[in-house]
Amino acid sequence: MTMRSFAAFALLLATGLPVLAADTATIPKRPEEIAFEPLAFEPPDAKTFRRTLPDGTVAYLAPAHELPLVTVSITFRGGSSLDPADVPGLASMTARMIREGGTAKRKPAEFDEALDFLATEVGVSANETFTTATMNCLKSNLDESLALFVEMLRTPGFDQDRLVTGKARVLESLKQRNDDAASIIGREWKRLVYGPSHFEGAEPTAATVAAIDRGRLAATHQRIVHPGNAIVAVSGDFEEPAMLAKLAKAFDGWERGASAPAPTPPTATLAPGLYHVPKEIPQGKVLIGSRGITRDDPDAIPLVLLNEILGAGGFTSRLMQKVRSNEGLAYSVRSTLQPKVDYPGDFRAGFESKNATVALATKIVLDEIKAVRDELVTEDELDTAKKSVIETFPRQFESKPQMLRVFVNDEWTKRPADYWKTFRQKVAAVTREDLQRVARKHLDPATMAILVVGDWDEIAKGDLQGRATMKEFFGGAVQHLPLRDPLTLEPLPDDKKAP
Amino acid sequence: MLRFASAVALVLSLVPPALAQKVEVEEFTLPNGMQFLLVPRSDQPNVVSAGWIARVGSVNERPGITGISHFFEHMMFKGTDTIGTRDPDRDGKFRGEQKAIRDEINRLVWTRQYDRFFKGEIDDPWNPANDTQELRVLRARLDALIKAQQGRGEGGPQAGTIVKDEFDQVYTKAGGSGMNAFTTYDLTCYFITVPSNKLELWAWMESDRLHDSVFREFYSERDVVHEERRLRTDSTPTGKFEEQFDSMFWASSGYSWPVIGWPSDLNSYTFEQAQDYWNIYYRPGNLVGIVVGDFDPVRAKQLITNYFARLEPGKTQPPPVVTLEVEQLAEQRMNAVGEVPPAVEIRYHTVPAGHVDSYPLDMLAEILNDRTGRLFKGLVEGRGIAATAQAASDTRKYAGLFAVSAQARGDATPEALEAAWYEELAKLQGEDLPERELRKVKNRVAAQNYRKLESNMSLFVQLAFSEAVLDWREINEGPAKYEAVTAADIRRVANKYFKATNRSVATYRRQAE
Repeated sequence: MTMRSFAAFALLLATGLPVLAADTATIPKRPEEIAFEPLAFEPPDAKTFRRTLPDGTVAYLAPAHELPLVTVSITFRGGSSLDPADVPGLASMTARMIREGGTAKRKPAEFDEALDFLATEVGVSANETFTTATMNCLKSNLDESLALFVEMLRTPGFDQDRLVTGKARVLESLKQRNDDAASIIGREWKRLVYGPSHFEGAEPTAATVAAIDRGRLAATHQRIVHPGNAIVAVSGDFEEPAMLAKLAKAFDGWERGASAPAPTPPTATLAPGLYHVPKEIPQGKVLIGSRGITRDDPDAIPLVLLNEILGAGGFTSRLMQKVRSNEGLAYSVRSTLQPKVDYPGDFRAGFESKNATVALATKIVLDEIKAVRDELVTEDELDTAKKSVIETFPRQFESKPQMLRVFVNDEWTKRPADYWKTFRQKVAAVTREDLQRVARKHLDPATMAILVVGDWDEIAKGDLQGRATMKEFFGGAVQHLPLRDPLTLEPLPDDKKAP
Repeated sequence: MLRFASAVALVLSLVPPALAQKVEVEEFTLPNGMQFLLVPRSDQPNVVSAGWIARVGSVNERPGITGISHFFEHMMFKGTDTIGTRDPDRDGKFRGEQKAIRDEINRLVWTRQYDRFFKGEIDDPWNPANDTQELRVLRARLDALIKAQQGRGEGGPQAGTIVKDEFDQVYTKAGGSGMNAFTTYDLTCYFITVPSNKLELWAWMESDRLHDSVFREFYSERDVVHEERRLRTDSTPTGKFEEQFDSMFWASSGYSWPVIGWPSDLNSYTFEQAQDYWNIYYRPGNLVGIVVGDFDPVRAKQLITNYFARLEPGKTQPPPVVTLEVEQLAEQRMNAVGEVPPAVEIRYHTVPAGHVDSYPLDMLAEILNDRTGRLFKGLVEGRGIAATAQAASDTRKYAGLFAVSAQARGDATPEALEAAWYEELAKLQGEDLPERELRKVKNRVAAQNYRKLESNMSLFVQLAFSEAVLDWREINEGPAKYEAVTAADIRRVANKYFKATNRSVATYRRQAE
């Protein structure tokens, strides 16, 4: 804002009737010439929002009165991490049936009608390490909604008919596993990176779905869903004392079990190489990467910045510029770093390109990974990445539910209390040399896998101009992985294998 | 600011709830015709979601330039004479030379290659593998020019004039996030979230690109869009079928071609066509700016006035969309076989957004949907023949459709799913909806209207769609119209639109192994 337009602003406030004259003369030549007022932001302190219920359960409360809605979210530790080896998908099915199976008192249809009539939304889902139940209702019927929500969590009905329907519906979705190449590559990548016996790489089959019964659901529910394994988060239109009283009542007499154990790290290691899964589509899908780091790795912040520069920073990233903008080889190209709390996650770069240019795009991605190892990134690139991470930092706390999610996750995963307070200073302190050091340590093409889903006969040939073929990678030694039977995950015979 | 006309009444009873939101929008129009909607709200401090819409989408296109609205969306990120180049004059020369060559390539393809294709000599007139010697030379020259302009060819980096993706870099450095755009049948929308103190940067960047976008990389960007088409349409199990079903469903309307365009058109757009499109649809009188978030409206208005006043009014008014959809006379069917689960989609022609019948039709979709909806009860649970089932009322600016779709469970056939829908439909046509069922759906629609306002970006998108298709005021006025729908209205529209002669049916079957 220039001084001249600031004066105009003051005048307008005084008159209250803005009839504005355009002041185009003050438009700077370039955006860098605009002076911005400083924007002060301090990350909120979790302690300010943290309360303890009479039974010992932790609850984070953040009132906000703009809309007459209340959201209650309870996060329980444990998800597919607790699945028995022979029943992958049990935690997910349990979450689903808690929601769909009615309660001890109410048949499913009666329970669902009651919620829908109140216009209250309830969801229960499990991911790898957490099971989360969320309720969003109008403030006017908070008591009825909360009562139904808690009744469901404390005494789920696991109705047998709903279980039969639920299992049949899951089975239908399993049948579609090979229809879309996107689901094939996601599944096979996790198998390569974590192994099929670890919960990250394990997938349900028709047999494991069939093995799920009410007894297993009840045992899983008992293990996960109880106050000894829960953190509560409430945001929206409420007053704190009243909400604390409602929560105390909801948790009163609910037996506290033991907290679920931390997830087991995978034992498999990724075997570097070129892998292919057959699928007849006009565009190959590719993932390139390796095991990465844990969330609390000391290299995490420099590696996040490096990844911004490499492939996570949208159009500003190198992969997007080289593969999409310069060469037009892909619509979407990106790299992601997924650090896990309890074991190293993965790093992966990925894109989709027409068959003829899969090799060329793969070559460019690998060249860019080599480049951040061999040469320092530019000052300007590091500056842009730092500014982006620092300036977008407040967005993690933008809405109340978002902020509470951060607090709950931090408490469950024991993040150091000063982590957010010092985060921006740590980002600002990173140097170009740090980036090169972490690139050399964590991103090595020789240790990476290249996974291609597509039509190998077409892909292997490379592009018309002969700029690249698949022979360039790992000496052209390709491991043809089978497409798997969608119901059993056993290999299907492959008659399209390249010679 | 969001304010509420009255407190929320008891929705437990059968008494209609006085559930009404009022989103207070500061609306103004600049002398050049550009309209703005400002919604200051402080619940999410320090950030602003801002953007603008052009009242143009694929429905405004015609055969030969299908997909050009979406292609424009890509072009708008390629910069101006200030952003995206280090030497605007030489960059302009590159663009001129590229245009001359590409015009010649197009001329040769449209004549000779199309002719060879019609005679069966080649399988695809646009595939470079089928190029004549003359075309090969031209294409190599075009590629060389594109590389040189990027600083990757003749003359090396010194000769290059492009600063790659500078538009994104400026925003990224300033803490912009979620920068994106989308194109639909009826509108094109550009948006970003910026820190509150960067609203002037937004005004600078957006007024700059609306002032003098130069369509840089006009030819090379088509490869990206082809990849986008392959990704969304050609490589997904149902993408190709859905595209064909759409163009079978619509007979005469501009909704019959896909937003991304037909591949041959995508290759064919000329610079002149793009210029025309720009002059007609990207002038201030056809644009609406929308700003939602934590900002001072008086200052914002001054900023906006200063920056956007530089846009020159258009000389040509956007032509009206005159072609109406013709009445369908007989049922249409498409039987698709592919890597898809057995499924059915039944579609009916209905009405545009804002039509008096659009409200009961929207309510009807709600009556059918979700766990207590009639499709779940009737097809998923009751008959046990569907794994999933849903309905959608899709009312657009110039026409609408209502779709019911279901995926089979077990050995159920698409025909069994279809027959089950007709049985459910007969009940809706023959009996009034029970009062409690209607009340339930109204309660849900009313609560949903609040949920849509929870985030700045969600409110932004509501305003964008409402204003492009109808009027932004619809977000305040719509709830009362839904509340007023009666059981008789629902029965009436079920009888009026859901007729055999007004429907198109797509059945899907899995290809045998």
